[in-house]
Amino acid sequence: MARLLVVDDESSIRLLYSQELGEEGYDVVTAGSAVEAVEKLQNEQFDLILLDIKLKNESGLDLLQKIVKDRHDLPVVLCSAFSCYKDDFSAWLADGYVVKSSDLQELKDEIKKVLAKKQNR
Amino acid sequence: MNLQCCWHNVTISPGDCPYIEPGEEDLLVSHERRVIEKCSNCPRFISELEGMKSAGEPLAPILKILTVELVDLRVRLESMDGFLNSKTREIRFLHELSTVLQTSMDLDEVLSVAMTAITAGKGFGMNRAFLLMCDKDQNYLRGYLGVGPRSYEEAWHIWQEVEQTNLTLKEMAQFFRENKLFSEKVKFQDILERLSVPLEDQTHILTRSLHEKRPILVVEAFNNPLVSREFAEILNVDSFLVMPLISGNRKIGVLIADNFITQRAITHQDIQSIETFAFPVAFALVRASLYEQLHEEVDKLTLANRKLQEQQELIVKMEKMALVGRITSSIAHSIRNPLMVIGGFARSLLKSIEVDDPKKEYLSSIIQEARQLEDVLVEILNYSDSLYPVKDQWDLNQLLEDSCRDLQPKFAAVDCSCRFELAEDLPTVLIDYKQISYCVRTLLVTALENRSPGGELLVCSRWWDHVVMLEIYDQNGSLPEDVWETMATPFSSTQELGVAGVVGLPICRTILEKSGNSLEIERSQGGGMRYIIRLHLQKEE
Repeated sequence: MARLLVVDDESSIRLLYSQELGEEGYDVVTAGSAVEAVEKLQNEQFDLILLDIKLKNESGLDLLQKIVKDRHDLPVVLCSAFSCYKDDFSAWLADGYVVKSSDLQELKDEIKKVLAKKQNR
Repeated sequence: MNLQCCWHNVTISPGDCPYIEPGEEDLLVSHERRVIEKCSNCPRFISELEGMKSAGEPLAPILKILTVELVDLRVRLESMDGFLNSKTREIRFLHELSTVLQTSMDLDEVLSVAMTAITAGKGFGMNRAFLLMCDKDQNYLRGYLGVGPRSYEEAWHIWQEVEQTNLTLKEMAQFFRENKLFSEKVKFQDILERLSVPLEDQTHILTRSLHEKRPILVVEAFNNPLVSREFAEILNVDSFLVMPLISGNRKIGVLIADNFITQRAITHQDIQSIETFAFPVAFALVRASLYEQLHEEVDKLTLANRKLQEQQELIVKMEKMALVGRITSSIAHSIRNPLMVIGGFARSLLKSIEVDDPKKEYLSSIIQEARQLEDVLVEILNYSDSLYPVKDQWDLNQLLEDSCRDLQPKFAAVDCSCRFELAEDLPTVLIDYKQISYCVRTLLVTALENRSPGGELLVCSRWWDHVVMLEIYDQNGSLPEDVWETMATPFSSTQELGVAGVVGLPICRTILEKSGNSLEIERSQGGGMRYIIRLHLQKEE
C-alpha cells in the first residue's frame, strides 16, 4: 500500500483527497502547511507527495525545492488551481503536474504513473 | 487754272472723291475733315499742287511741305496707335494671366495656363513650348510637358479649331487641362525623355540660361556653337528661345519656345513679353508645388493621426481587456477550489449511493454543472494565459493533425469526418504552440457545435509570401448570429458561458491579433462556413 502525503491549505480539499485516494487503496496523510509537511516528512516515510502550489502565505514551489534537495528519491505531484505554473521553471522539478478538477481521475492516473515510474527506477 | 480735284468744293457729290469709302459719307459735307483725311494722299491733289507751283502760286511749295509732314505724322500716329493697341492687349492678357496664376494652387492648372499662354494666338502666339522642371534633389533638369503641333497639318487643324471658338485664356487653359494635358505629354514623350540635363553641366544652353538667370535666343541652332548638334536635332528647329523659370534663388525649370511651323522670327518684343510672364509663372509653379507638398504632408499627418488614434484606442481596449483578464483570472482561481470540492464530493457520494436512490439525479446534476463551470474556467484562464505568450518554431501541419485527432470523440458525436489538405512544404512558424493549438481546437469545436450532422470538415494549410493560412471549411456549418456578435467583445453575451463559440472565438481573435496575426470567419458562397487563421512568418526574436 503506497503512502501519500497530501499538502494543501484547504481542509475540504484535504478531506476530499483523503476519501477519494483512500478508496483507491492509498494510505493518505495530510498536512495543511509547508511547516507541517516538513515535520511529517522528518518523522514518517512516504511514497509520494501531492503538493499544492499556493499555500496561504507559503509557496509550494519553495517546499518542492526543499524536498528535491533533501529527499530526491521522493516523487512529487503538483496539484494546483493554476495551469500557468506548468511553464514555471521550478515546477519542472516535480514528477507530475495536475490542474485541480472535480474529476479526480486525471490526478489518480498521474499518481499511478509516477508511482509505477518510481518502482521501475 | 482748271481744277479737277474736289478739294476746293465745300460740299461734293458721291463719286466726286474716289477715296471716300462706304460709311464715310459725312465727309461729303465736311470740307475740313475731307481735306485733312483724304486730300493729302490724293494723287489729283498732289498733281494740282504741282500745277499751282508751276503757275507760281507762292503758297504751293509751303502747302507741299505741310502735306508731306501731315502724311508723315499720320503714319507715325497710326504706328503708335497700333503699338498702343498691342500693349493694351498685352496688359489685358497679362492681367488675365496673373489673375489666374495668382489664384491657382493646382500644379496642373498653372502648367495649363502657362503653356496655353505661350502657344495661344491670344497669348504670345508661339508655335511650340516645352517645359523642363528641376527635380526635387536639384540634380537634373527634366522634360516635363510639351505643347503645340508636331506637323503643319496638325497646326492647321488646331488653328481652325481655335478660330471656331472664342474662348478666353482661362477657358482655353481649362479646356487644355481637361482634354489635352495628358495627350500632349504623350505626344511629346519621345522629345521630353531626351530633354534631360544635369544641372551641374553649365555648358548646356538650358542650364546656362538657368544659372545666368537670363533668357537666351538661339538662332541658327544647327550651326550655333552654344548648342550641341544633338540638342538641335531633338528640337529640330533653327531658332528657339530659352527662358529660365526662377523664383527668388530657387531654380524651378526652363521654358523652350519656338515657331516650329511658321518659322516666324522670334522678336525682341516676344522675348520681353515672355520674360515678363516667366516670373509669375515660376512663382505660381513654386506655390502650386509647395501647396501640393503641403497637401501630401497634411495627408500623411492625417493618416498618422488616425493611426495614432487607432493605436490609442487599441491600447485603451487592451488595457481594459488585460484588466478583465486579471479580474477573471483571479475570480476563476478563487472559484476553482470550492468547485473542485463540490464536484469532487458529489462524485464521491454518487459512487456510494444506491442505484435506485432518487438523490442520484441531484448528485448527477451537481457533477454536470460543476464540470460545465470548470470548462468555463478553462476558457477564462486560457484567455489570461494568452497575455504571456511563449514562442517557438512549430510544424503547423502536425498541430492541425494532433488537434483533430484529440477531438475525434466530438467528430464522431456529430457523425463528421475530417479530411486534410496540407501543404507539403509548409515552413515552421514562430508561434506559442499552446495558444495556436487552443485557437485551432476552439475553431474545430465551434464548427462541430454549429453544424448539421454528417459530411466532413476540410482542414487545409497553405502558404505564400510571408503568410501561412490554416483553414477549416465545413459545408454543413452555419454560425448563429448571436455567436457572430460575441466576436466583438469577450464575455459580453448573456448566453450560457462554456459554449466554444461564445467565449472561445473572441479569445482566439484576441490571441491571434495580439501576436500580429488574424482570425476570419465567413459564410462560404457555396454554403457552409470558413474559419481562417492567418499567421505571419517572422524571425525568431
